[in-house]
Amino acid sequence: MTTTLPAAETNLIPPSTHPHAAVIHRLEAGGSMLPDTPDNLMQIIGIYKAYAVPMDFYWRDLLYIAERVFLDPLPAFKYFLPQEYLDLHNRYAGETADLLIWLCEASSHPELLEFMAKGEVNRKWPKLFHHLWHDRVNMEFAEACMKAMLWHQDMGGRYNDYLYTDEYKANCDRAINAYFKRNPLMLGLHKLFPDMFYEKCRELSYYSNLGLFWEVMAPVFFEMSDIYDEGGFAGVPAAMDFLVNGIFAVAGRPIYHHVYVGDECFELVPKSKGFNWLYEAALPYVESVFYRTAPFRGTKSYNAQAGQVPLEQNDFHYGILYADVFPVGSAGIPPTLLMQDMLHFLPPYLSDYYQQHCRGEDDVLIQLGITFQRSMYNVTSAVIQALRGALLYPLNDPNPRHRLANRQFFEQQMDRFLRPEARLNEIQTQDYR
Amino acid sequence: MATPVPYAYRPEKTMPTIVDIAVNNEGFSTLVAAVTAAGLVETLQSPGPFTVFAPNDDAFAKLPPGTVQTLVQNPPQLARILTYHVAMGKHTQAELIKLGQIDSVEGWPIPIDGTDGFEVKNATVLAADIEADNGIIHVLDNVILMG
Repeated sequence: MTTTLPAAETNLIPPSTHPHAAVIHRLEAGGSMLPDTPDNLMQIIGIYKAYAVPMDFYWRDLLYIAERVFLDPLPAFKYFLPQEYLDLHNRYAGETADLLIWLCEASSHPELLEFMAKGEVNRKWPKLFHHLWHDRVNMEFAEACMKAMLWHQDMGGRYNDYLYTDEYKANCDRAINAYFKRNPLMLGLHKLFPDMFYEKCRELSYYSNLGLFWEVMAPVFFEMSDIYDEGGFAGVPAAMDFLVNGIFAVAGRPIYHHVYVGDECFELVPKSKGFNWLYEAALPYVESVFYRTAPFRGTKSYNAQAGQVPLEQNDFHYGILYADVFPVGSAGIPPTLLMQDMLHFLPPYLSDYYQQHCRGEDDVLIQLGITFQRSMYNVTSAVIQALRGALLYPLNDPNPRHRLANRQFFEQQMDRFLRPEARLNEIQTQDYR
Repeated sequence: MATPVPYAYRPEKTMPTIVDIAVNNEGFSTLVAAVTAAGLVETLQSPGPFTVFAPNDDAFAKLPPGTVQTLVQNPPQLARILTYHVAMGKHTQAELIKLGQIDSVEGWPIPIDGTDGFEVKNATVLAADIEADNGIIHVLDNVILMG
């Protein structure tokens, strides 16, 4: 969908005067917001692989919680993934997939299984010991992303609107009555305060939404790592194009929420509603997690009365694209949890790279966080290029009016990186680590 | 005096429906397959009337690999994309350009531009005002998407 343009074709409209004009011109030439250097390519592919392994756990557990744990009042074991979900075939990976384009393993990744068995301590303790020692995949990060989607809600698509319809509530009632059929106390609570369980069901519907979104992204990232290892990517734009094609390939994947009580399936959000991966999962995810999220508790104090927190949720800018990665390493903040998860699965070339820079082992989480930021600028570039391809015009369109429409779209996107917290300028150099 | 032939016995000169036109003309095999997979054939044969923005085979071929396959495997999701190409009523090119925008059956509006010829969102109309019994067809060079 993106093609690099010959120089002669770039002169149809005058140059941009936007503060991020250089990046805009690069996007117009089929590039990414991230500069095309071998160093950047190596970093982003390495981190995609390290991200894909815990993501292989996240999506499975998100679906397990949404489908099976459901309204368990004491979900102490919700992170203990049953074998059935570890064996579950990813519907977009391997030879049993709906689309034969990402050929990595369909069941859990071997590195994930090895880590789950032995943990960081590298000993085969009982699962509960690893859990209590917090030597495990940090599922809390996935839940933080889900909460960002739940909280920001209205970000396009129709999924959220559906969660407030009478049809959805009737679907919830059927599942709640079946789930608590032997628990009169909970059924009584549902009668007294019906909105309580509806709201919990909405949260669980976002667990399912995010699980179905990441079920696709994990094999995409694994495949990118495999292609890179075989010398297959010519540069950062090629890696971005791979993502763009992936976004289109699965755009029509259904987004739904099914709950299983015993063998019976209750469709809280049926597939027949027509919700799809691009509109109801991918775009809301990028908006809520990459751009918005919320300030992390305990890292910085904000005075809302002094206007330090935006009045409008759509002005929130606490996502990875704006993050100061320095506080990573502090306890309890979601990116720390993710960086710690990725640290376990770094490819050797990326581990060696971090050892050679800054403080080596001592600040590896920060270096890793900045690599992750670079990689997410590349994913966001893929989303921007995919949207341009879907809604606007080819980059080599000969009509100047169409080129101008593309220009305005890119400039609007770059306006979001004019605030001082944005890291777009920093990622233009390799010194930012 | 000759008895007039009752109207009902005169040979009928019926117009083809939107579906008939798509089936009987070259270049719409992907659209016909998609409409069939989505279960929309009966709807598009009903009285309507509908305005259909019909992407040709080349338009579908521009989509990256896998896109159409995933949609065809999931009829409700496919139906949503296809109903974005349909508006209620029989609207000619001139009417649409005057309106500037029309609501699709899917719900999202479809922007129309008449600055250089006839453009529907980011697609150019290759053939306009093809009349059918139950509506009108405008042929597009791109699949249009909501957003």
